[in-house]
Order: sequence, then C-alpha cells, then structure tokens
Amino acid sequence: MLSLQHISKYYQVSGLKNFVLNDLSLEIDEGEFISIMGPSGSGKSSLLNIIGMLDEPSEGYQYFVGNAVHQLKEKQRSALYKQYIGFVFQAYHLIDELTVAENIETPLIYQDFKSAERKAMVADMLDRFNIVGKKDLFPAQLSGGQQQLVGIARALIAKPKLLLADEPTGNLNSKQGEEIMELFRKLNKEDGVTIIQVTHSEKNAEYGSRIINLLDGKVESSKQL
Amino acid sequence: MIKNYIKIAWRNLKRNKTYAAISVIGLALGITCGILIFTLITYHLSFDTFHRNSNRIYKLYTEWHEEEVNKAGAVPQPLGKAFRNDFSLSEKTARVINFHDNLITITKGNVVKKFREEQGVAFTEPEYFDILNFPLLKGDKKTVLVQPNEAIVTEKIAHKYFGDDNAIGKVIRLDNKLNFTITGILKDLPANTDRKQEIYVSYSNMDQYTDKEREGNWGGVYSGSQAFTLLKPNVTVAQAESGLAELVKKHFTGRDLKVWRFKLQPIADMHFNPDLGGYADKKYLWALFFIGVFLIITACVNFVNLATAQALNRSKEVGIRKVLGSLPHQLFWQFIAETALITIVAVIVAVCLSLLALPAINNLFHSQMAFNGQELTVFIVIISLVVIFLSGSYPGLVLARFQPILALKSKLSQKHVGGFSLRRILVVTQFSISQVLIIGTIIIVSQLHYSQTTDLGFDKDAVLLLPLPQNDKVKLSTMKNRINEVQGVEKVSYCYGAPASHSNNTTGFNYDNRPEEEHWSINTKAGDENYISTFGVKLVAGRNLFKADTVREFLVNETFARKLNLKPQDVIGKTLSVNGKSVTAPIVGVMKDFYNYSLHTEISPVCIYIAPDSYSSLAIKMNMRNAKVSLASFEKIWSETFPDELYSYKFLDDSIREFYEMDNIQLKLVEAFACIAIVIGCLGLYGLVSFMAVRKTKEIGVRKVLGANISHVLWLFGKEFSFLLLIAFVIAAPLAWWAMHNYLQDFKYRISIGPGIFLISILSTFIIAAVTVGYRSITAALANPVKSLRSE
Repeated sequence: MLSLQHISKYYQVSGLKNFVLNDLSLEIDEGEFISIMGPSGSGKSSLLNIIGMLDEPSEGYQYFVGNAVHQLKEKQRSALYKQYIGFVFQAYHLIDELTVAENIETPLIYQDFKSAERKAMVADMLDRFNIVGKKDLFPAQLSGGQQQLVGIARALIAKPKLLLADEPTGNLNSKQGEEIMELFRKLNKEDGVTIIQVTHSEKNAEYGSRIINLLDGKVESSKQL
Repeated sequence: MIKNYIKIAWRNLKRNKTYAAISVIGLALGITCGILIFTLITYHLSFDTFHRNSNRIYKLYTEWHEEEVNKAGAVPQPLGKAFRNDFSLSEKTARVINFHDNLITITKGNVVKKFREEQGVAFTEPEYFDILNFPLLKGDKKTVLVQPNEAIVTEKIAHKYFGDDNAIGKVIRLDNKLNFTITGILKDLPANTDRKQEIYVSYSNMDQYTDKEREGNWGGVYSGSQAFTLLKPNVTVAQAESGLAELVKKHFTGRDLKVWRFKLQPIADMHFNPDLGGYADKKYLWALFFIGVFLIITACVNFVNLATAQALNRSKEVGIRKVLGSLPHQLFWQFIAETALITIVAVIVAVCLSLLALPAINNLFHSQMAFNGQELTVFIVIISLVVIFLSGSYPGLVLARFQPILALKSKLSQKHVGGFSLRRILVVTQFSISQVLIIGTIIIVSQLHYSQTTDLGFDKDAVLLLPLPQNDKVKLSTMKNRINEVQGVEKVSYCYGAPASHSNNTTGFNYDNRPEEEHWSINTKAGDENYISTFGVKLVAGRNLFKADTVREFLVNETFARKLNLKPQDVIGKTLSVNGKSVTAPIVGVMKDFYNYSLHTEISPVCIYIAPDSYSSLAIKMNMRNAKVSLASFEKIWSETFPDELYSYKFLDDSIREFYEMDNIQLKLVEAFACIAIVIGCLGLYGLVSFMAVRKTKEIGVRKVLGANISHVLWLFGKEFSFLLLIAFVIAAPLAWWAMHNYLQDFKYRISIGPGIFLISILSTFIIAAVTVGYRSITAALANPVKSLRSE
C-alpha cells in the first residue's frame, strides 16, 4: 500500500543537521495493523505525519497506492489523502464550535458530498458507534472516551483505506483505551482498514499485526505478531 | 459549505462576544460615517442638476480688475436685457432681481395677515421659467409674469397664505407698496437648488418698487440683481464672453473700460464657487471625502487587528480542518464568510445609526438631505464588499497558511500569525488619523474662541438692532425720543448697519479733490452723531460728527489713512467724495480700526456720515438688567410707529455669531469625526493589548516568578504603547500642521499654531490610550503566574 525509501527528516540548526528521521525505509501492505513504538524523540510522530502527508520528508522517496508522493503537488497530495487517509489524535482535536454530528460531517463537506448524502452517512456512523443520542452535544459536554469515539467516527466517515492514529489512547483511562483498541481491531479485521498507530503502551501495541520499534530516527526492530 | 461557514462563524461570534462587539461597533461607526458623508456629498453634487439643458445654462457675473480682482455673482441691472437684445447667442436670457426679508400682507375681509419672508421676493422676467426647470402646477406658463402686477408662488407659500383656498386670483401686498395678483402656482422647490425664492413677481414693477431708475444704471451692482442665460447649442462660453466684452465697450468709458468684465458661470459651478456666493466649497467636500475614507480605513484596520489577534485562538480549528481535507482557499473563504457576517451586522447597525443621525445633520446644516435609496444601496453594497475583502482577506490568508501540525500542537507562535509589526503599523495609522483630527479640533476651537473674544474694536454686547421699514423723519425722531425714555436705554443711534454687518455698501471715491478715483474702494456706513458712542468705536484723531440732517462731515478709519500713506491727523480737514461724487464733505475724525467684516476678511477702509435716507436700523445700547421690560417697551413703541409692519429684533452679538456659522458647523463635524476616530482607534488599541496580553502570558509569569512587581509588568505594556503613540504623533503633527495652516488661511486674522496645541493633543491621546490599555494590562499583570506557566 505504501512504501518509504531512504526517508530522512532533519532540521538545520546553525549549520548542523539535526535528524529526526535518518535514512528510514518501510513497506506497509494493505490490511496491516501496525503499532509504532519507541522512546520520546525517536521520530514516531514525524514518521506518522510524513505517511499522512501532513509533512514532507527532507530527503527520500515516498509511494502511496502507486503514486510517487515526493513528486506530487500540494493540491494532488491533498486530494490523495482526502480520499485514502483518516486521522485520529491523542487530544481528539474536535472543533469546539461544532456539535458531534457536525464534527463528523466536516470531512464530507471538504469532499463535496451532497447535503442529503452527508446526512445519511453521518446517521449511519452515529448508529454504528452508538452515539445517536449525543449527536447534538458539543465536544465539551462529552467524556474523553466519547470524544475519541467521535474523533474516530470522524476519521472513518469518508471510508478511508488507511487510518493513522497518534497515541489514540494517550489521554484515556485503561478501560476506555481498551474499548478503542477493540474497535481498531474490529475495523482492521472486518472492514479491512489499514491502521498505523503510534503508542507508548506495550499492551495496546499487541493489538496490531506488526510492531515497529524506532530509535533515533531509524527502525530498530520490526516484529510480526 | 456556505451554511457550515455561517454556522461556525455565528457560533464563534457568540463565543467571543467582546471580540464580536468590538468588531461590529468599530465597523458600524466607520460605515455610518461613510453613509452620511456619501449622502452629504451626493446631496451637494446634485445641486441644480435637474434643469433641462443644464450644461448650457449660465449665470452672468461681474469681475472688477483693479489692484486685485474682485468678483460678485451679480450684474448691473441692464446687462441681461442688453445681452438679449444685442446678440443672438442665447435661446433665452432672463433677469431676476432678488430682495430679502420682505413683508407680505394679505387682507381677507377685515383680517390683515403679515408675513416676514426671509427668502424674499424676486422680480422676474418670464423667460426665467423657460431656462430653469421649476414647473408650474397652475397657471399658463406662456402668460405668467408677462403683465405687470402678477405673482406666482410655490404651493407651500400658497398654503401658508391661503390655507386650502385656491390661491389663484388672490392679492398679496409687498412691503406695503405694491399689490400683486397670483396667476400661477409653482411646484414646491426641490431641496437641492440654490434658487431659494418662493415668490416671483412681474419684472415690470421693478422701477415702482425701488423708486429709482435702476434700469439704466450700468455703474452699480446690487447683489440681488442676477441674469441667467441658456446659450444656443453651438455657442461657446468664449463667444458669449466676447459678446459681453463688447457690451463693456459700449456702456463704459475711461478707466472703467479696463476695470469691468462680465463673465459666464456654468450653473453646475453655482453651488461650489465661494467667490460667487456658492455655499459648498469643493475643498471642504474633498476634505470630508478623505475623512470618510480615513474612518472606513481605520475601522477596517481595527478589524484586521482584532481578527489576526484572534487567529491564535482559531489555529486549532484551522489545523483540524486542514487535516480533515480543507484546502487553503476553502479556509480563506470561510474567514471571508465570517467577516461578511460581521460586516452585514455592522452595516445593519450603521444604517440604523445613519437614520438616527441624519435629522441631526440636517439640523446642523439647515439642509433637507434625504437618503437616496438607489444610489445609497449601490454605495452600501460596494462599501460592504470593499470592507469584507479589505478586512477579511488578510486574516483569511494568514490563517489559511497555517502549518497544520504546528497549529495542532499549539506550537504556533507570533511569527506564524503575521507580523506583530504589521499590527503596530496599523495602530500607528489609526492613531495618526485620530491625532490629526484632535489637533484639527483644537485649532478650530481656538480660532473660533479667538473670533468671538478678540477685541473687535467696537462693543458688541448689549446692543440691540431694530429694523426701520420707513425713513419718515418725523416718525424717526418721535420714536427716538420715546425709546430714549425707556428705562435701561443708554444710547440710541440711527444707522444703516452695525460696524460689522452682512449688508455693506462699497464705492469708489476721490480724496482731497484729486481728479482720479483711488484704485481701491471704501465701505460707506450711514450713521448719526451717536453712532460711535452707541457702538463704542474710539477716535484716534479729530472729533465726532456734529448733529445734522444731511451729509456735512465724514469719519474715516485708520486703514483709510494708512492706505493713503498718511498719518491719521493728516487726513483731518481734507475732503472726501463718494458715490460718484454725489456726496462731498470734509473729514473731521479718524476712528480706531474695527473689524468691519468677520475675521475671515481684512479690515477695509471705512467712512461714516450722516444720511437719514439710508438708515435702515435703529441701534440701542442698553442695560441688560431690565432687558425683559425694555424689550417689551421697544416692541410697543416700534409697533405703534409702524403699525403696518412686522416687529423683529436682533442682538448684535448674535448677528456677529452668524458670521461664524459655517465655522461652527465645521467644528461640530470635525469634533464628531475626531470622537469617532478616537473610539475606533481605542477599540483597535484594546484589540492589540488583548493580543499582547495573550502573547506575553508566559513572559509575565516568568517575570513574576523571578520577582517582578505589577508596575514592572505594566511597563511592559506601557513602553510599547508610548512608543507607538509617539510615532503616530510624529506622523500626525506635520500633517495636521499643514492641513490646519491651510484652513487658517481663510481667516485674515488668525491664531498662530503654537506648541501648546500639539502638547494638548498628545497628552489627551496618551490619557485616552492609557485608560483603554489600563484594564487589560492590569488583569494580565495580576494573573497568577502558576496558572500561566502550568499550561506549557
């Protein structure tokens, strides 16, 4: 599904290159559920951002579903990721001014779905996540677990092939975290969504099909489960 | 998509009520001024544009080329007729002779009604109504005013005189001299014309009315004597003016041939040319236009300031939207939509404010402006679009360019939100504008104060002026005796007018029997032997006039002597001839100079002589303690002396105040605009300080932990704003100096622009700014450092 070859990301600080990712190569197939682990500063989030095309690598080649991402223009990249990628954040990042239903609807607006179509898709999603009763509440009125559920619903609304999750359970207690992980597993198994998550928790990492350990911007180990 | 934008815009505004309120108020004030100034300017530009063929209609006027060129928007009475008869350049030419403050008497059975008509009566040739577009509602346009003793009046006047009765065929009596039968009713005059006369009477009665044979007098110009002409389509102004030059050759001789010129003034110029009695100097319209533009710019600047300061709070949302697939241009339009929402609310508020303010402005200008729906709608739509894009695009661009990852991680800092320095420039711009206006206000106030308190050279307080409708000698002397007996009367004088007056006569003169007239003219004032004591005018040489019944002696002023290059005592005993040598008498005294016009105009040479025929006022110097009783006695005596006339009176200081009416209007306008500019500026400042407070939260926290006290923290803000205001002042001071220096050129006697004025301006700005900034910076300074540091 995607392939990174010799990817580097560095910041120039007074003439010295400060590497965040250093000559990293990685192949990910469709249907995988990958957990990326590693200590703080090992480059987990940077890797995720580059995969999600939110950030550009300083060097290297990047391919996504057959496209050479490093050659695409911003607009084409944006179109590509709108179509294929959903994002889930540690801090949920819901829009405070919008209700649950409107938050979930927002990605569809940017993909030019008709209003009636959007309504139907949002209703489905609310149903599937059992949050129909909360659809008119604002994020501030929900618990952290519920907010993350909304965040995931929003990430999935446009039926992405790839779900990127940056410490999705980091702000949740263990029970809420487990529920989210179960949900991820189900999405991966039943709907065939490819998932890449960054996590600190060994336990959550084991929900995946492969664990990749990063250290100092390089793949230290890759373990198939 | 749009619905979503508007929804989120609305919720955002609801959440940030202060921000929304500041933005809306600032914009609404700016737009209100825009709407009002637009209305004012279009109103003035619309003057006398409704006449058919208005590009071919001209008013004749006179120029005198002497030491300097003098102009008057009037012509000798025979000129119009000669131009019509001698040339075939015009389709129509009409003379119209206006008089003011006339008395109209209506008799119905035994009831006599009297009306004082300030706009007066015009003796008019019938062609007038072919040239200018004042349609008749009743009466036959072909025959009205052709016969003598006919009158046409406007609907309004007809209704005032006769109620709902048919006015046609009714008789009105003018100044107890002449009767006119109404043969036509005019449609009411539009507000946008300078031709304010509402009563027109047959021109052929002119000679009867003025008692003099004016019809052949080429040498004198009465300010009400006007002529209009409608040139033929292919005739140029130059052709017409060369025709007028031939008339000068035909009717003038000697030196007058070089002095007199007649010219054409396009009707479109009538309203704007102050030299020829135009009301609205285009200079001031331009000034207003720029003030309006400035205010709208300040309001937009304000908005940009606040919106970009808000940007940090919005960065998370922007980041999320980008991650969810929004393109920069979609975000841009979202912020434009938000701006549009604020602007629309502001426009609605502004329209309401304008509706409320218009009557006050009409009152101020004595005008009848109305909102012109069509033009104004176009204006409002355009101004809304301009405001939306001017103030929405910058924040929109800044926000749309956020790096989404940084935004989501709250790592956005100052440099990403677009220069703080830009915001500084904006605040400096705003404060420069308000300081220019503040300095302007202070200077106009000082000048007006100076005009009203400076020693005019005569006593303007407690002097009452009564009109004299007739100059009957017996009546006048009886009235004078009776008034002298009224308690509280100190001095009484018959005269043509007060030392400073709107009505003036000037004439050429011969000094000391010199054969040639001098190249400058003299202002003649008729007054009796009590004139200088009543008005408190002082003598510097010679003596006062002796009591007499006719011209025996002259008093002149210092300027007269100075212009002749003589000392005051040297002119005593010399002869003076005025009014075409018809009056010759020795000079017996020289008066100390007094301001014989307003301070706008230079003191002119003046002479005073006894001329009972010319008296038209009775001046009474009185003791104000019993004013009420005395005033009642004056009215009784006057009404018994002139039973057919309408009593009125005026205090001299009031009529002198009228000289500065326009200045007072300007003052009020500038004051209002200065206030609005200051309010908008303060809103911007408040926005900036809020922004700074957010930005400096961490810095303040750290400083406080390190031991800074509140005053240290306040100085963080203080030094920033002091600096900005100083820069604004440095920009504003020379601009304001230049503008006000030009303004003061309109006054021949004026204050000098001293450093004090600038000092007051900058001090007041500092105080206003300190108050605005104070609250927000104190809350920032008082915040608990633990809280602000924990959020990191």
